[in-house]
Amino acid sequence: MVQSPSWLQRVLIGRNPKRTLVRIVILVVVSVVVFKYVLQPIRVEGGSMLPTYKDRGVHFVYRLAYLFHGPRRGDVVAIRTEAGEHVMYMKRIVGLPGETVAFRQGYLFINGKLLDEPYLILRGTWEHAPQLDGPDQYYVVGDNRDMPWDDHYKGRSARDLIIGKVVL
Amino acid sequence: MKEWFIRVILVAALVAVGIWSWGVLFPSPEKIIRKRLDELARTASFSSKEGLVAKAWNASMLADFFTEDVQVTVEVPSAQHTISGRAELLEAAAGARSTVGSLSIEFPDIKVTLAPDRTSAVVNLTARGKIPGERDFYLQELRLRMIKVKRDWLINQVETVKTLSWNRHVGRTSHLSPRA
Repeated sequence: MVQSPSWLQRVLIGRNPKRTLVRIVILVVVSVVVFKYVLQPIRVEGGSMLPTYKDRGVHFVYRLAYLFHGPRRGDVVAIRTEAGEHVMYMKRIVGLPGETVAFRQGYLFINGKLLDEPYLILRGTWEHAPQLDGPDQYYVVGDNRDMPWDDHYKGRSARDLIIGKVVL
Repeated sequence: MKEWFIRVILVAALVAVGIWSWGVLFPSPEKIIRKRLDELARTASFSSKEGLVAKAWNASMLADFFTEDVQVTVEVPSAQHTISGRAELLEAAAGARSTVGSLSIEFPDIKVTLAPDRTSAVVNLTARGKIPGERDFYLQELRLRMIKVKRDWLINQVETVKTLSWNRHVGRTSHLSPRA
C-alpha cells in the first residue's frame, strides 16, 4: 500500500523531492548569476541624487548596459572605487570624454553650450570654471545641485570604473 | 566501479583538506594584510561605554599597526593635512576619541597589490565610519603603503584617494608605490 505525502510535505518539497532539489539548485545558480553579473541590486545611501533617487531606496544596476556601446550623457551609472565594489557611487553622466564642463549660476555648460537637463529639480547656484575631461573620462554629478559645492561628491570617472547603468 | 568512485572522492577530499591546511598554516601576505586591517578597524572603533583608561589604552594599541615614521596625508576640500610620525598620529587618534563618543569603523573593500619582492604592498581600501545614533555614515577611500617588518606588516604611508575628481588626474595617480 502506497501512502500519499502529507499536504505539508507536498507544499514544502513537492511530490517528487529529486525534482524539487534540481529546481532549487537551478534557481540558486540563476539567481547568483543574474544578481551578481547582470542585474546587481544596490541600496542608496545619502541624498546627492535627490529627488530622482531617494535615500535608502533599493535599485538595480544593469552591468551589461555598456557591452556594445559606451556610457551616454544622461545615464545614471554606478561607479566602483579602486578598492572594490561593496561601496559604489551613483551619479549621472553629464560630460563625455574630451568635453569641457562648467557650472554658471547652477546651469551646466558643455563645451560652452547650455545643457538641457529636464531631470533636474534642485538646481542650486554652483559656479565653476570650465574643466576638460580626459580621453577616457566621463564627468559625473548627482541630481541634487542644491547642496554646497564642497559637500557634493562629483567629478571625472575613468571608463573602467563605471560598472553599469542604474535601470530600476 | 563504486569502489573506484569512492577512492576518487577520498583523494579529492584529502587534496582539499591539504590545500586548506596549507593556507591556514602558511597564509599568503595578502591574507595576513587583510587580517591585519580587520584588526585595525576593530581597534580604531570605540564605544561610549569605554572608560577613560580603556580609551587611552585602546588608542595606544593603534601604535602596533604603524611604523615609527608613518606619514598620513589627508586631503579635505580646499585643504591638506599631514601627520608625521606615530606619536603625532596617536595624539590625533586620542583627540578624535575625546571629541566623538562612539565610532564604528569597517573596511568593506580592500585591494592589496604586493611588490615583486613581497616585502611591501600598496593597499586601496574604502573606510566606512558610523557614529551610533546618526543616520548617515562617513566614507573615505584610502591608499596605504605597508611594509614587512620582521614577520609583521606595518602601515608606513596613508593618503586619501578620490575616485571622482574635479582635477583631471587626481585619484588614479599616487606617489605611493609597492616598491620599498
